[in-house]
Order: sequence, then C-alpha cells, then structure tokens
Amino acid sequence: MSIRSFLLSSPIFIGVFLFQEAFVTQLRLPAGGINVLLVVALIWSALSTPEIGALTGFGAGIGMDLSQTSPGPLGHWTLVLIVACYGVAFLGYGDDNIRGNPINIVLLTTIGVVLSQVAFLILGLMLGQQIGSIGNIIFLLAGSAFWTAIFSPLLLKLISYIHSNTFGSRAQL
Amino acid sequence: MRYGGDNRGRLLIIVLVVTTLFLITLDLRGVQVISGLRTGTQTALTPVQKAGSWVISPLRNFISDVTHLGRTRNKITKLQEENDKLRLTLQDRKVADAQLTQLKSVLNLAGTAGFKIVGAKVISQGSSTSFTQTLTIDAGTSSGIHQNMTVISGYGLVGVVKYAYSHSALVQLASDSAFRIGARIAGSQQIGILSGQGTRKGVLQLLDNTTTVHKGDALLARGSENGRPFVPGVPIGQVTSVSNSPGAVTQTADVKFYTNFSTLGVVAVVVSGAAADPRDALVPPKPHPTPLPTVTIYATPGAVSPSPTATK
Repeated sequence: MSIRSFLLSSPIFIGVFLFQEAFVTQLRLPAGGINVLLVVALIWSALSTPEIGALTGFGAGIGMDLSQTSPGPLGHWTLVLIVACYGVAFLGYGDDNIRGNPINIVLLTTIGVVLSQVAFLILGLMLGQQIGSIGNIIFLLAGSAFWTAIFSPLLLKLISYIHSNTFGSRAQL
Repeated sequence: MRYGGDNRGRLLIIVLVVTTLFLITLDLRGVQVISGLRTGTQTALTPVQKAGSWVISPLRNFISDVTHLGRTRNKITKLQEENDKLRLTLQDRKVADAQLTQLKSVLNLAGTAGFKIVGAKVISQGSSTSFTQTLTIDAGTSSGIHQNMTVISGYGLVGVVKYAYSHSALVQLASDSAFRIGARIAGSQQIGILSGQGTRKGVLQLLDNTTTVHKGDALLARGSENGRPFVPGVPIGQVTSVSNSPGAVTQTADVKFYTNFSTLGVVAVVVSGAAADPRDALVPPKPHPTPLPTVTIYATPGAVSPSPTATK
C-alpha cells in the first residue's frame, strides 16, 4: 500500500520539483524565499500516515538533493526530510485536533520547515560544510518561516484535495 | 488514538535511513553514478529553467517593483545603466563611451587583463534556503567551460565554476560562506585569505601579523597554479573597515565586493589566463574631485541689480 501510494504521488512531487527549480528560484523573493518542495512534502506528510510520511520525505529529499543548489552530498536533505516528514506525520496521525485543523497544519509545517533547515545545517556542519554567519542564518530562517506561513494556507487546500484523491480518502480539509 | 508504530513501519524507516546513509557515503567517496545523477538532472533541467526564466521575468520584475516600494522598473534600469557607466569609466579610462552593456564591461575587463573568456547569461539564481550562494549560467562544457574556472563580471570577481554540465554550469558566488580565495592588497602586495559571509560583505584575514591593512585598500586575486581556480589580478573588493582587536594574531578586515551579485545578468568565464600577471592593472582608479564653481554675489545699497561673478 505504501509503495503504491508512493509511486502514485511521485509525479506530483516531480512536478513540484520542476516548478521549484524552474520558477520559484527565479522569483528571487526577499529573505531567501520559499522552498515549495519542502513545504509540500511536510503538508503531505501531515495528512498521511507515518510510513507514507517517511516515504514522502525520502522522495522529496532525493529531489532536493538532486537540485543544483544543494551544497551537500546526495542524501543530505533526504536524511533530514525522512526524519522531519516522519515526525510531522507522527504528530498528526490519529490526532484530529491537529489533522482536522488547517491552522495547526500550517503551524506544524512552518515549525517543520525551520527545524528541517536547522537539522540540515547541523548535519552539514558534521559533514564539514561552511554555514556562514549566524546573523545571515537567522535572517534566512526567519524569512523561510515567514514565506512558509504565507504560502502554506494557499497550498493546503490544493494539496489536501490531491492527497485525498491519490489515497482515495474521503476526509479532506 | 496516537500512533504507536508497528514492526513493518519501523523496518521501513530503518531501510530508508540506511539507504540514505549509503547514498551519502557513496557521494562522499566520489562514486561516478551519483555525480552522473546530478549531471543528468541538471542537463534535463536546463531547458526548463531557461523557459522558466523567460516566463517568470514579468512577475520577477513586478516583485522587484513591490520590494522597492514605488521605484519603477524603468527608473531602476536607468539608474543601473548609469551606475554601470560610471563604474566602467573608473575601471578603464580608455573606455569613455556611454551605453555600455554588462557584457561589454566584462569584455573590457578581460581585455585589459588579457584573459580569454566565454560570455554567458545568468539563467537561474540559486535558492538561499540551502544556505548557499550560487547561480546557473547558460554555457557549459560544450563552450569550453570546466570546473574550477574563474567567473568575472565587469566589476571584478563573481565566483568560480563549481560544476560544469554540457550546456550549463553552476557558479559558486564569492559571497558563498564556503568560498575562500587568496587575496593581495593592491600596492602593498600584502596577502591574506578572503572568505564569503553569505552577503555582499567578505572577511579578509591577513597571513602576516607584521603587516597592516587600511580602509579603502583594493583587493585583487592572488591567483592559483595554472590559473585554476583563480586567475591572478582580478579585482575582488574594497576594504570597508579594519578590525584592530588586540588579542588577534593577525589583522582582519571587512571587504565589500565590487560585484553586486543580485543584479548579475551577464558574466564571463575565464577559460585561459593572461600570459603575464596583470598585477595592479585592474584596480579601479580612485575618483578625482572636480572643483565646483563658487558664485559670489556683491550687493551694493542703492544699485539697480546685483551682478554675479563666477570664480574658481
């Protein structure tokens, strides 16, 4: 079931990846902009079971690692996203207070984005990468949280619709 | 009911994490298949990015207008062109004509140094969410561009080619926090290491504790063996402040890069360095103040009208 769902959702994530690489990075939004693939993966996970969440994190992570802008080795983002997406799915699964409330999902996604980026930085440091000045990192993290909080509510309805159709679920936000 | 997990779920997580660690290990060991995956992805993405750049430009301009609160695109473009013109005049007195484009300025800089270059258009700016400063250009190995080649603009150093694909290349900007370059101060020839900080500002650390650096000093690339990754003599930036911490072993200084990385449209990749080190030939000359005429008005009581006299 998990593998089937994973395969079904793959074209969606490939589309999001292309959208991110071809369009979103060109917008040059202030304060670092938004990573749509990361946001979509976390929202998707928040609506899924932990297994699907982990698989989603794996797929999205591979996509982000294949991005030209990824500084780390292949698997850097993947490892972070497996844990992040699993964690988000785990927190939301079986708890209607979280899953049934769009505000909670947006909050969970925003926190998930920031924590994922922090984990990405820490893992990068462990792998010997340079991370730059603390001030710049805080600025980018704050910018990322801002854009995620702005765009998540806009994406949530669409992702919820696609998610429910992909998994044949009647529940939809 | 809170999810408790089962054996199958745990096994899946373990498999995924182990697979990821395996991938990281393979990539860090430089296995060709992994680098081939990235090359293939980038090759496939290049036409999509080019199309995206064309489609998104009106929206990008709109966002830029909104960001700059009321300043119109035309006014910004006009000011940028005017700024380009002034900088070019400073960099090379021989070139005095106006209406020079960014590409022409690159050719001018490379021509002065005797570099052989390949011009390229910027097709994508790297995402800052990965905490890197990169850009993608529309020329690659098919144009003679390879890894570790210096990238310049009309103002000076832009960065270095990190990866070269068949029809595109990824450039690591000098502002990237992982960027390091050996630099020397024009005139005094003192050497140090300049590192990017994620912004247009870099930090220079001198190597010799007996030497000093001053505000306003111009920095040039020291150059590498065979001109890769850095050709010598390329202007990098100007010292904006000097840190004189008594506990520090050597002096450090903040440096503002000559190149404004957010407005790059055309860059050039140095495929072959100059036969001889250009030394300080590329340092932008300091501007000379032009005396302004002083107008003195003598007013005589009872006179019909005051007569202005201009003196210098």
